[in-house]
Amino acid sequence: MELDIISVLITLFKFKNLLAVFLGTLSGIVVGGIPGLTATMAVALLIPVTFSLSPVTGLILMGGVYCGAMYGGSIPAILLRTPGTPAAAATALDGYPLSQQGHGGMALKVSVVASFTGGIFSAFLLLLVAQPLAAVSLKFGPAEYFLLAIMGLAGIVSLAEDDVIKGLISGVFGLVIAVVGTDIISGQLRYTMGIPDLYEGVSFMPALIGMFSITQMLELTGFNRIVSEKVDLKSIKHEKMPKGMWKFIGVGTLSGTVVGVLPGEGATIAAFVSYNFAKQMSKFKERFGKGNPEGVAAAEAGNNGCVGGSLIPLLTLGIPGNSVAAALLGGLMIHGLIPGPELFTYHANITYGFILSLFLANIIFLAIGTFFAPYFSRISLTPTGILIPAVSMFAIVGAYAMNNSVFDIWLMLVFALIGLVLSKTGFSTSAVVLGMILGPIAENGFAQALTISDGSGIIFFNEPIDWILWVLILGLLAPPFINMVKRNIKKKKTDLIYSDN
Amino acid sequence: MKKTIILLVLITVMILPVVAEGKAETYPSETISIIVPSKAGGSTDGTARQFALVAQKYWEDANFIVVNKGGSGGLKGFDEIARAKADGYTIGMVFTPQLVAHVVSGRAHYDLDSFHIVGNIVEDPGIVVVPADSKINNLDDLKKAAKESKLVAAVNGIGSDDFLAAKDFEKIAGVEFSLMPTAGSTEQKTAILGAHVDVAFMNLSQMLANHRNGKAKIITICTEERSGIENSIPTSKEQGYALYMTATRGMVFQADVAPEIKSALDSLLAKVLADKDFQDAMEKMLIVAAPMPGNEYRDYLTKLQAQTQEVYDVNPW
Repeated sequence: MELDIISVLITLFKFKNLLAVFLGTLSGIVVGGIPGLTATMAVALLIPVTFSLSPVTGLILMGGVYCGAMYGGSIPAILLRTPGTPAAAATALDGYPLSQQGHGGMALKVSVVASFTGGIFSAFLLLLVAQPLAAVSLKFGPAEYFLLAIMGLAGIVSLAEDDVIKGLISGVFGLVIAVVGTDIISGQLRYTMGIPDLYEGVSFMPALIGMFSITQMLELTGFNRIVSEKVDLKSIKHEKMPKGMWKFIGVGTLSGTVVGVLPGEGATIAAFVSYNFAKQMSKFKERFGKGNPEGVAAAEAGNNGCVGGSLIPLLTLGIPGNSVAAALLGGLMIHGLIPGPELFTYHANITYGFILSLFLANIIFLAIGTFFAPYFSRISLTPTGILIPAVSMFAIVGAYAMNNSVFDIWLMLVFALIGLVLSKTGFSTSAVVLGMILGPIAENGFAQALTISDGSGIIFFNEPIDWILWVLILGLLAPPFINMVKRNIKKKKTDLIYSDN
Repeated sequence: MKKTIILLVLITVMILPVVAEGKAETYPSETISIIVPSKAGGSTDGTARQFALVAQKYWEDANFIVVNKGGSGGLKGFDEIARAKADGYTIGMVFTPQLVAHVVSGRAHYDLDSFHIVGNIVEDPGIVVVPADSKINNLDDLKKAAKESKLVAAVNGIGSDDFLAAKDFEKIAGVEFSLMPTAGSTEQKTAILGAHVDVAFMNLSQMLANHRNGKAKIITICTEERSGIENSIPTSKEQGYALYMTATRGMVFQADVAPEIKSALDSLLAKVLADKDFQDAMEKMLIVAAPMPGNEYRDYLTKLQAQTQEVYDVNPW
């Protein structure tokens, strides 16, 4: 079967396939919008259902869920500081402050446009240059993954620029939590206290829900509603997208897609990496974390860029880049679609139908998101008396649903307390999150790289890619330190003036 | 209005479990949970979901629900199956050698007697795989190369079937690898396709597609007989190495379930295994169906546990 673009398009525009894209995307947005229900779960649930559909319809349905969920996660992240998916945590950093200031509707618009751009760009790459990109992704070995993780950790310094010391302490705290569980390299258990639920480490999603959502709900108890009283409804609903977003959407899209192509790096990391690059480039650095739409733009473009990116190694090599892609792999296999060159030749009509449907899915969530943004934004006007119990209920269900584990609910509550203490004392919960995600990647990459090189550190400088990564790491680390030094000098000067007086 | 809706939702949430608690008359009158001790989307998960789909054909009134209890190498899920109420409404998937490896390492709260073993469903033979352009073409080459210089071998975690197979080969060939444990088979696959390691011990379903399209080279299948799914790969027995490792995936439930429910579920599994739709689905997923009745599978597991114990005594993890 050779690729026949006309017949692919005819298949795609069949009513049942259009319905599949629409339903998939819509349910994806809902699933993504509810913390704890993830795209991975939704795709896995769909696999047996798709068996009774034609392969292309089944895949389109799952692709829609993937795209929709990645966008949907940003809605509660912006409005409630409750990331619907882990990947939306970075979106909450600036999205929620915007909501508080009454710009929720605008933040939602920025988010949907950025998500759309990231999604469409990465789908184009998947369509046009999947094979060469997959080949490049294989150049990344354990040493490169270690450097990537370090690059992500360098973000801690720029995340917490106001107080680098507290930021670093928070990051290290995250790394310490990441140590809990089975050590991959030796097979030994570390700090699991005999609890089997901790053998695989501290579950990330419940911890995240605790530190972000529940902590936030506790903070809200002192207020009547999220938005300050002065802001009127009309301005929340109809606020235009701010100018100058494209630069940051671009940065997010690029770094998100690149990170997405690399197997083992997830959308969460993509979003944080994009966020950090955007912060370094921005003219309004100091506004980051306090409600800068540029942060929302970069983070959302980043995690949606990951969608197409993660499908590249999946379809060409059978390597799933993240857990959603792994579930999708199951969906492909059940239809006898084995990843590899055959997908692009023998099964070309199915594969390209699927890839093209991703464009449609992106257009659909753009339409839904733009249309409903004014209505969604009303959530920030809901009295906290209703909001807090409702969100808390979802948080508990979500923490449980991730692994069907009651232990995870307790874990979430413990992390809620930790989150509260940290945020009240000026430590950075996002730095903790970064430490938790990147700790295992850094540790395993380091140990595996040294196993390969038989203990020689040269392996971290062998390839040209390594040097590029080192430059990027230094590029991220340098500006915050220069700023810190500058500020110190300034402070000394003012101190001097004081003492003179 | 909003308050009413929220109230209604709350009431429904609270009432639902009460309604579902209705008394059982004939088995099965309640939803049967299938515990899958791994994350959603994997091949064990796929097997279980396919089982549920086909089983529905034979038990039209029954409801099956797949519950994923991933993590800790299946330990959490295995424990949960063993601890479940003995009413036949909780059944579960098990996979080897992790099922017995946890018993051997003393981490499990169950042993083989905690379960009624329904039978085995599928198997996934172990393989030894090298990068596509590697000079190593068979086990003799591998032995020679490993004697000349220390090779890096990727295995999926300590105490896994890959790890046991690698340790076995070290013993048989009298060599020593630099073992590089990975978190999951995806990392192993990347390491082989990108030629970051010299060799990996994996399972057939994980690399077969890449072998067929020439991106990796499977040099042996760790069985006595060639696999029906890919007849061209030589076995370790043919190459003169007694290197045998197969991952199996079967079905079990709590040992104290009433005998009539036991036999009902036993015959259900037998029917599903004989079903054409089920077999087709397994083949598409590159999984080898290996039906084995309960008593045979119990013998297999007992033997495997003894073998694993031997490895553990020398190389505890």
